[in-house]
Amino acid sequence: MKEVDLFFGPQHPGITGNFSVRVKIDGDTVVKAQAIPGFLHRGFEKLMEMRHWMQGPPLICRICVPDADHSETGYSMAVERLAGIEVPERGKYIRALTLEMSRLSAYLFYFAGYGGSIGLYTIAQWAIGDRDYLLDLYEELTGARVYHIFNFPGGPRWDTPEGFEDRVDKVMDYLEKRLKEYDKLYFNNMVFLKRSQDVAVMKKSYAEKMEVTGPNARATGWAIDVRKDDPYAAYPDLDFELITQDEGDSYARVMQRRLEFQQSIDLVRQITKKLRSMPRGNVRLIPNALHWKIPRGEAYAAVESSKGELGYYVVSDGGISPYRMQVRGPSISHGVQVYEEMIVGQRLADVAALMFSLDVCPPDIDR
Amino acid sequence: MVDDEKIVSEDMGVQVEKNENMEMRSFGTVKRWATKRSLWMVHYCTGCGGIELAPLMTSRYDMERFGMHPMVTPRQSDVLLITGYVNIKTLKRIIRTYEQMPDPKYVIAFGSCPINGGPYWDSYATINHLDKYIPIDLYIAGCMPRPQSIVRAFEDLMDMIQDGTADGYMRYKKYYEPYKANQEKIFRKWW
Amino acid sequence: MSEQEIAERIAKFPGADVEVLRKGQIAVKVPAEKGHDAAAYLKKMGFAHLVAVEYVDWIKENEFELVYNLFSYKMKMRAFLKVRIPRDKPEYITFMDLWPIAMTHEREAHEMMGIVFRKNPNLTPFILEDWKNLPPMRKDFDSRKYVKDKYDSIPFAEGGEQ
Repeated sequence: MKEVDLFFGPQHPGITGNFSVRVKIDGDTVVKAQAIPGFLHRGFEKLMEMRHWMQGPPLICRICVPDADHSETGYSMAVERLAGIEVPERGKYIRALTLEMSRLSAYLFYFAGYGGSIGLYTIAQWAIGDRDYLLDLYEELTGARVYHIFNFPGGPRWDTPEGFEDRVDKVMDYLEKRLKEYDKLYFNNMVFLKRSQDVAVMKKSYAEKMEVTGPNARATGWAIDVRKDDPYAAYPDLDFELITQDEGDSYARVMQRRLEFQQSIDLVRQITKKLRSMPRGNVRLIPNALHWKIPRGEAYAAVESSKGELGYYVVSDGGISPYRMQVRGPSISHGVQVYEEMIVGQRLADVAALMFSLDVCPPDIDR
Repeated sequence: MVDDEKIVSEDMGVQVEKNENMEMRSFGTVKRWATKRSLWMVHYCTGCGGIELAPLMTSRYDMERFGMHPMVTPRQSDVLLITGYVNIKTLKRIIRTYEQMPDPKYVIAFGSCPINGGPYWDSYATINHLDKYIPIDLYIAGCMPRPQSIVRAFEDLMDMIQDGTADGYMRYKKYYEPYKANQEKIFRKWW
Repeated sequence: MSEQEIAERIAKFPGADVEVLRKGQIAVKVPAEKGHDAAAYLKKMGFAHLVAVEYVDWIKENEFELVYNLFSYKMKMRAFLKVRIPRDKPEYITFMDLWPIAMTHEREAHEMMGIVFRKNPNLTPFILEDWKNLPPMRKDFDSRKYVKDKYDSIPFAEGGEQ
C-alpha cells in the first residue's frame, strides 16, 4: 500500500501541549515517526545567566506546566547544595507537601488526558474538576493556582496558614473516595482495557537501555525513584515503598499512576500528621536576595517529578547569577527517541494515546 | 476601529453604500448577535496557558454556557486563543492557523507574554509584541490569568462583536503589507 | 561504599583527576582524547546510566566543557565525567555506542552550543527553527542585543512606526 506522510500536531487536540510528530503511515499502521519538539522553547538556560540567583524560581517554575513545584524545587536544591544551605526541618516537610500535592494534580491531569485520548470524556471532566480542589489548596498556601513560586533556595516562602493541614486532609479523604469511583468508571472500563492492554509494551531491558525514568520505568518492573535513590526534602523520613508493575504496556503505565496516586495521598497524610506535631515558624533561611553570591563550583540536584527525573546542573563562577544552568527534563528520554521507536507498528489512533500514556511533557524537552 | 467602509461592507457579504438603509443595518445587527452567541475556539495550546483551558472547558468553569466550544480544525473556528508566550516556531503555525480561519475571526491574547514578552522579554526564542504579527482583539493580562478572567474576556469579546469593535480581521486585511513585512523579518523561509 | 573509596577506584584510570564534590557526587576530569575510554571504564564500574550531557562554555579559557552526567543505581552515586575541547575546533566523538540516548543529548548540544559529534548520524535541527546566528548558549551570543534588533519596537497599530 502507498505510504502517506502525516503531520500530527502542533495544532491537534490529541497532543500533550504543543508538540508535533511527523508520522509515515501504511494503511493506519505507523511505519516511521519523527518527533518535532521546540514549539515551547524559551531559552531558560540563557535567561538564567542574566538573572540573579533569587530570580530563578519565578522563571524556572515554568519548565513543566502541570507540575510546577518540582521545577522550582529542583533548582532551589541545586543552589542549596552549591551554597551549603540546610533547609529547616519544617521547611523540608512543607516542601515535600507541595511536591506531593503537585504530583497528585499532575496525575489527575494525566488521567484526564489519557481518558480524553481514548474517548472517555467523563473521566476528563471528573479529574480536571477534582484537580481544582488541589489548586484551591495551593491558592490558599501560595496565592496562585498554577505557578506557585513558593519553593525558594533556603526553603519555602512562608509557613502554612492556620488549620491548613486539616483542610489538606479533607481534600485527601475526598480524593480517596473519588478514586473508588474512578476505579468503577475508568480503570475497570472495557474501553480502557481494550485500548491499553498489550499496547506499546516497553520491556525492562529497553527502559534501562534508553534511560527511561519515573513511573514509565517503574511500570516495566524497574524499581527506580529519585526519592529513594538520591533522597531530598523530607522523603528520607517518610515511610513508603516503591510500587512496580511488570507488564510495561499502556495499561501498566496508567495503573502505575493510579497506584502511586494512592501512595501520594498516604504520603500527604504522613506529612500533615508530622506538620501538626511540629513547632510553627522556622521554615526558611533567608539569604540577602539581590547581592547573594554563591561560591564557585557545580552541583546537580534531581527531583522525582510526576514524569521522571528532573535534574538541574548549575555552575557558579562566584558571581551574583548562575554561570550556566542546564535542565535535564524527564521527557527528553521518553519523549523523543523512545517515543519515536515505540510508536512504530502502532495504529494511528494510538499516536496520541501513547503520547499521553508515556506522559510526554513537551515544555521540559524544549525548555 | 477601522473606518474603511468598503472593507466593512464587503465583509458583511452585502454591498452597502455609505448611507446604508435601515434594513441592512438591522441585518448586520442580527448577524453579529448570532455570531457572538456561537463562538468556536481553535483547540491549540500555544503556550503554558493551555493548562487553564482544561478547567475552563470542563465542569467547574464550563465555557459552553456561553456557546463557546473548542473546535479541532481552524477552518470551522471563530476564535483563536493565544495561550501564553509565543515562540518563533509556534508563531509560524499561529499565522498559518489564523490565515486558514474564515472571516469573521477574533484573536484573544492570554497572559502577559503576548503583550510585551512577560518574563521572557530578553529571550531570543520568543517574540515580545504579538500584535506586530497578527491583529489582537482582546488582551487578558496576568500570569497566569484565572479562568474567571477568561470568562470575563469572552463576555467582553461578545460585547465587542455586537458593537462591531472587534475588527482585527479587517485590520489584518487593511494593513496586510506591513503585517507581512513584520512576519518576514523574523522568518527565513515559510516551510 | 563511600565516596572516597569510589573516587580511589576511579582514580586508577590513567589521567583521571577525581574530586569528591559532596555527598553522592564525584567529578572526574579526563583529557579529551581519553574521554570515551573513561566513559567505558565508568560504565563497567557501575555508572551505567547516562542522565544527561551538559555543556558549558568557558569563554575565558577558550574551551567548551562537556559533562557526562552518570548515575549508578547500585551505588547511589553520581559521577560527572568532564572533558574539555577547544573552542576553535568544537569536535568530539559520539557516545552513542555506550548509551543510545546520547544521540538526543548530543543533538541538543550540537544545536545549542555548536559542538559537532563525530559519527552521530542525527545532528539535525532539533529545537530551534531557521537559526542562522551563533549557537544561542554560547557566551558571546548576546540575547538582549538579538532581541532588540529583531523583535523590539512599538507596534504600528498602537501608534508606532509603520
